[in-house]
Amino acid sequence: MQKHFLFYLALILLSACGKKPPIPENNQEDWLDIQADLQKLFIQAKDSSTIEIPAGHYIFKKPLLLDGKKGLTLKGAGPEKTVLSFALQEEGAEGLKISNCENIVLKDFSIEDAKGDNIKATDCQGIRFSSIISRWNGEPKEENGAYAFYPVLCKRVILENCIAIGASDAGIYVGQSDSVIIRNNEAYYNVAGIESENSRWVEISGNIAHHNTGGILVFDLPGLTQTGHSTKVFKNQVYENNYRNFAPAGNVVATVPPGTGLMLLATRKIDIYQNEIKDNKTIGCAIASYKIVEALAGGKEETNLGRNVALAQDDQEYDPFPNHISLRENRIENSYSFPSLKSDFGWLFLVKMPFNTPDIVWDGIRPPQGNFSLCTENADLIFADLDAANDFENFSTDISPYHCVSEAWELNLNSL
Amino acid sequence: MKRLLTLVLLMAFVACQQEAPQINVSKGQLASKTISDYPSTLSAWGFFEEPLSNLKAKKELIPYDLISPLFSDYAQKTRFIKVPKDSVINYQETEILDFPIGTVLIKNFHYSEAQLGEARIIETRLLVHESDAWKALSYVWNEEQNEAFRSLSGASIPLELNGKKGQKIAFNYSVPNEVQCKSCHEYQGKMSPIGPKARQLNHKFAYGFKYENQLAHWEELGLLQGLPAVDKVPNMVNYFELREDLDLRARAYLDINCAHCHRREGPAKNSGLYLTYQEQDAYKIGWNKPPVAAGRGSGGMQYALVAGEPEKSILYHRMASLDPGVMMPELGRKLNHEQGLDLIYQWIKSKKQHE
Repeated sequence: MQKHFLFYLALILLSACGKKPPIPENNQEDWLDIQADLQKLFIQAKDSSTIEIPAGHYIFKKPLLLDGKKGLTLKGAGPEKTVLSFALQEEGAEGLKISNCENIVLKDFSIEDAKGDNIKATDCQGIRFSSIISRWNGEPKEENGAYAFYPVLCKRVILENCIAIGASDAGIYVGQSDSVIIRNNEAYYNVAGIESENSRWVEISGNIAHHNTGGILVFDLPGLTQTGHSTKVFKNQVYENNYRNFAPAGNVVATVPPGTGLMLLATRKIDIYQNEIKDNKTIGCAIASYKIVEALAGGKEETNLGRNVALAQDDQEYDPFPNHISLRENRIENSYSFPSLKSDFGWLFLVKMPFNTPDIVWDGIRPPQGNFSLCTENADLIFADLDAANDFENFSTDISPYHCVSEAWELNLNSL
Repeated sequence: MKRLLTLVLLMAFVACQQEAPQINVSKGQLASKTISDYPSTLSAWGFFEEPLSNLKAKKELIPYDLISPLFSDYAQKTRFIKVPKDSVINYQETEILDFPIGTVLIKNFHYSEAQLGEARIIETRLLVHESDAWKALSYVWNEEQNEAFRSLSGASIPLELNGKKGQKIAFNYSVPNEVQCKSCHEYQGKMSPIGPKARQLNHKFAYGFKYENQLAHWEELGLLQGLPAVDKVPNMVNYFELREDLDLRARAYLDINCAHCHRREGPAKNSGLYLTYQEQDAYKIGWNKPPVAAGRGSGGMQYALVAGEPEKSILYHRMASLDPGVMMPELGRKLNHEQGLDLIYQWIKSKKQHE
């Protein structure tokens, strides 16, 4: 049984490669309004109880809010059976919002078309998302909400067997959180498939990120409640992330070049192994400092950029440079001859590395003090050190300085 | 040929149909219990003399107001506090006063005849200080205006305001559900009042014919202890007081309208945008600060605030929006606050680059 299952899974995955997934649509005509009743159940729920939403299509005009509960389970009858739609939303910036809760389980439903984020969980200790489809219907567009799944300021997060589609920022996003497992999910038609931001002790494994602008991102931004580190990204399939970038400008993901497999930004202690990174047109894995993102985000607004950089540096805790990164046993391939030309980087690689788009790109901006540590076990990868700080003057494709084996380390997830 | 054309037209028709499917919404039901932790009617609390709609409070209720109140779709607010007998409020300099357990804050939301064609009380919100936290309750007034009923899951009330130029402004006034209250009323993860801070109360109020500082009055009544000399108590400017400093006016406006979430201890701490009256860090206030999780709220702009350029400032853009996925605050506002917008516009405009 198990064997058959694996075989079919492999078959499905194989056939999925290269083929564009269908644009999701929901043409359901008859919907039920259970706003008041369901919200009442949320308010009255006793700790450690289960709220079941039976099979059906439900439409909401306001957000659903759950606050201050412990041990609660919210479950539908299955992701294709219980559908919560916020297509008619009139108020609130998210569909379902969970705040200040402990040990919450959300599972077996679909959630769609919120005006802001589909599911946000903030300030929770222990939250598990399981078998949930979170999506925006129709052609992916700028007007879609930012995040399909959005745990932030949480501790002990598990997000598994979920599907995220159509987010104008990140499909699966975890921010300013600790002890996080993101496993066996699928993300497509998002700007970022999966993104971990300013989070610590994060495991991203067994996911399929495809047909996004960027597949999997690990970012660290200044001025927030905590800075991130210690993330393992392994056994993921990251392919065909060549979708146009439809993030509203101003957001950091708006700077991600279409055709990016993985991207690390200003983050430390990252172990990337046994991933299949395939047919991402522009870059297999990008390693960038916050300096270059600022330069890109600031764009033409030169007047503010200098000041902003100066202010960002005021943040004592924040280190704008990536560091302690290891890449090992990954399969990075690209069958496309040309990078996506929808970003300046695409053009840069077209000119500097014709027919040879890089597997690993580092912006080459070094921390002013201390070492920069990057280890790639395979020496046959196509590499580019941009030297972006000096107008690409010492642009280099020599990987040998980074051909090393990094020290192994354990990821200690706090009693999940 | 003709048949082909018909077919094409038919296909086009079907395609259009698919693009905008007919949506029928009918009422569904989930089993839920009734609750009985607090009275289901406002009259049962016994705060007001009959007829209720005069909002004539019994003696043990003390009326108060705030120097710079939160904007709530132009609703007028009448506030009272009830402190339990033999209990006392302890003074706090910057945060909410330390109210004793059993305190009830009562806030009535109403519109005047000039605003609505007839005077109407919409809802009465209570904040009850229970033993470990505050509890929010909302009572929605009936059309007869002789009773208000507790609403657990909120309500939408269609209203039509008279605009300045004689136009009608129709909107759905939103009564929050009891968790929504906490979306704003949250401090360090717990439900908390927002307004009654020393700096918001530190001005004169008319008690009948007596015009007296509110804090001094509370002290006189034996309700407040630990009050320093009044000149040592912080105060805030009224954001509509044109004689006051523009910077302080704008900061007062942002403090009461935004800072309950946008502060280190509030639910929007993840944004890194902090707007309390005391905040001194220009970057945290938003000057040249890129957004963190704004999504399409950014409106394609780079920074929360850009000196001299309100049109390039995300903060102004989100204050001016009515789109639920963009607008700020996220709750409690269905209309734009024209005067507030104007104030923030002037404030951003007045700043010079590299200041």
